[in-house]
Amino acid sequence: MATPAARLPGRAALDRREATVGLRLVLGPDYRLGFLFVAPIVLLVLALVAYPFGYAMYLSLTRKYVGVPPVWVGFDNYVKLTWDGFFQRAVANSFIFTFGSVSVKLLLGVAMALVLTSRIRFRSFFTGVLLIPWVAPTVVSALNFLWIYDYSLGVLNYLLVRVFRVLPQGVGWLSEANTAMASVIAVNIWRGFPFFGISFLAGMKAIPAELYEAAAVDGAGPLQRFWRVTLPGIKNIVIIVVLLSTIWTFNDFQIVYILTKGGPGGATQVIPVLTYEIAFGAQRLGEAIAVALYLLPALAVVIIVLARYMRRGQAR
Amino acid sequence: MDRQFRALVDQVAAGVIARREFLRKTAILTGGTAAGLHALGRLAQAQPKTKLRVWLFKSFVTAGNEVLAKHIEAWGRERKVDVETDWATFGDREQKFVAAIEAGNPPDLAEMNIYGPMRYKAALRDVSRVATQLGSAKGGFLPFAERAMKAEGKFLGVPRYSMTTVFFIRKDIMEAKGLKPPKVYDPDVVTFAQKTTDPAKDLWGFGQTLNRSDDGDGFMSNILWDYGGGVWDKDGKPALGTAFLKQNMAALQFAVDTIKKHKIQPPGVMGWTDVSNNEAYMAGKLVTTNNGASLYYAMVQKKHELAPKTLCVLTPGGPAGSFVGSSCYSWAIFQKSKQADLAEDLIRWVEDESRFAEYMKASVGQAGPVYKARVDNPYWKSDPNFDAMVQNILRSVNLGYPGPMTPAAAEVQGQKILTDMAGRVVVGGLSAERALKEAHGRIEEIYKMRRA
Repeated sequence: MATPAARLPGRAALDRREATVGLRLVLGPDYRLGFLFVAPIVLLVLALVAYPFGYAMYLSLTRKYVGVPPVWVGFDNYVKLTWDGFFQRAVANSFIFTFGSVSVKLLLGVAMALVLTSRIRFRSFFTGVLLIPWVAPTVVSALNFLWIYDYSLGVLNYLLVRVFRVLPQGVGWLSEANTAMASVIAVNIWRGFPFFGISFLAGMKAIPAELYEAAAVDGAGPLQRFWRVTLPGIKNIVIIVVLLSTIWTFNDFQIVYILTKGGPGGATQVIPVLTYEIAFGAQRLGEAIAVALYLLPALAVVIIVLARYMRRGQAR
Repeated sequence: MDRQFRALVDQVAAGVIARREFLRKTAILTGGTAAGLHALGRLAQAQPKTKLRVWLFKSFVTAGNEVLAKHIEAWGRERKVDVETDWATFGDREQKFVAAIEAGNPPDLAEMNIYGPMRYKAALRDVSRVATQLGSAKGGFLPFAERAMKAEGKFLGVPRYSMTTVFFIRKDIMEAKGLKPPKVYDPDVVTFAQKTTDPAKDLWGFGQTLNRSDDGDGFMSNILWDYGGGVWDKDGKPALGTAFLKQNMAALQFAVDTIKKHKIQPPGVMGWTDVSNNEAYMAGKLVTTNNGASLYYAMVQKKHELAPKTLCVLTPGGPAGSFVGSSCYSWAIFQKSKQADLAEDLIRWVEDESRFAEYMKASVGQAGPVYKARVDNPYWKSDPNFDAMVQNILRSVNLGYPGPMTPAAAEVQGQKILTDMAGRVVVGGLSAERALKEAHGRIEEIYKMRRA
């Protein structure tokens, strides 16, 4: 008996069924459910990360003043910045600020962790005290340092000149190019080193005591134990902390803005402050975003290295 | 309802219903009506009142802020408008405006500084109607205020008051040294400061930062004009490193010399922010400084020992005269506002003479006149120090002088190009000419982009 034509599956339906079977083979039998579960996070990432980032990229390719529609200018903003002396100086200052801060934070962090792993009295108390700079809001710290550094009314000059008589007269900490950069770096170090110290402390505590005992039996002194046991033991943490701190310090705005606003004469002008100045002072939003994104590839390399390293650590 | 009651009365009278039934029905009717009326009242209250969003400027003169807030609340009660007030400070007003405009959610009405109407020109309404009405009722505007608020012949802001700077002098020290108030910077201020500076006591004859700040930028603008120069020519084209190069070089060199050569300023002056000279003056470390009336207000309010020892005089000048760029605070209405008429009504309310007088008195010299009729208010004779404030306002020029006030001029101020220029000489070691030409290049770029 012939099957009625109406009950035979159509060509399109057959194609759909084949495609579904193909998808099942490639993505697994529960791929529909999988999509359902993944969809919220994909939407969230698209809405909160991809869209703002894409829009920022687009704006950086436009001439956009506040309250005025953007005008497409292609890579003009980036080309202009490349030859802009103030931008070049801000880039150089950002590197000096970042590497000056991170290198000292690394040394102080290791020292802090070593002190806190040794058998000293009131160790918990010291741990808490050393965390204060990290816990205190940056704005509050920076405003306090603004007062500390003041030439006439600041406590630093008072101590150096009047109390300890180390200097014959005060120093204009924020008014000279070199001292201003050193001063903002010092505040960043003060604020950031506890993060290094606490992270390293956690790493050091995870190193088995047997390793130190074995090293001591082999005749290793304290310095050798540090180089051969401690440092390899916290190597992964050091890399991650340094990379994270590099990104954070490079993007640090508050300390420089509150203490110097990029002055005097642009001596402490860094990328985040320049971005702010162009966005809110000059109201050129497109150019401001171009400033912020200009060094993104360099930071992206750092992020990729960090992400790969962390993934490799997880795989192990 | 009356008809229903009457019907019930008729029924009970006719014996159609019993008295008990009558009472039950009238109780239901009365209770239901009362409940209905109550619900209707609640519903009426729940109807959204007209709302007006107003952003005010929170100045250092807190008593003035309180008076203004009180006036606005009173207007809201009188007009039955729900006024949502928010404050912006010196430090955050630009961020707030930029964010609100770009988000498409600006307030209806905002109090702005002199640069506001030019900066946010694209987002603001033409307020010529209310500005002209108020101007003609109050004897007209002072010229600098009118020029600063107008673009293409339209008012973008309604002038409110002028905040100016004056020259603060420690009267006690001046008299002890047998000196007189300086009239010009060079040589008067230099000589005055040299005679009063005493580094051993950490006492400095002059305190004026050239660091990135409104104070530093205002001083740099004034000093360029004082020497016959300026950033812009009369057509509003950049002239810093071209037409006015010679005059500007002399002015810049003088400004730098106050720090590097004459050594009349505190060594940390290049690290100062806007409040640093206020603090140093009140701490007794400065003999003279340029500042707004807020410094005087702070001393008077705190009954500071230096308040009676302070003399405020006209800002000193230079070879070409004495110029001051005062601010003109203003009211601006945003294009997005659906309550423009209400906003205009509120402007008229707060600019009413009796209300403004209350605000002016609470502001201790900070709320200077921008309407000609307010210049003669007896208040300005109530303190000898107020005279310099009014006189400085009367001779004020607008940003962009001798040209018009333009968005490019506001941007040059916003980017602190003049203080960067001075800083490049003081701290960066550049020659005055090179720093001027570098700054001129930046200004040319701004001018070209704004024109484009």
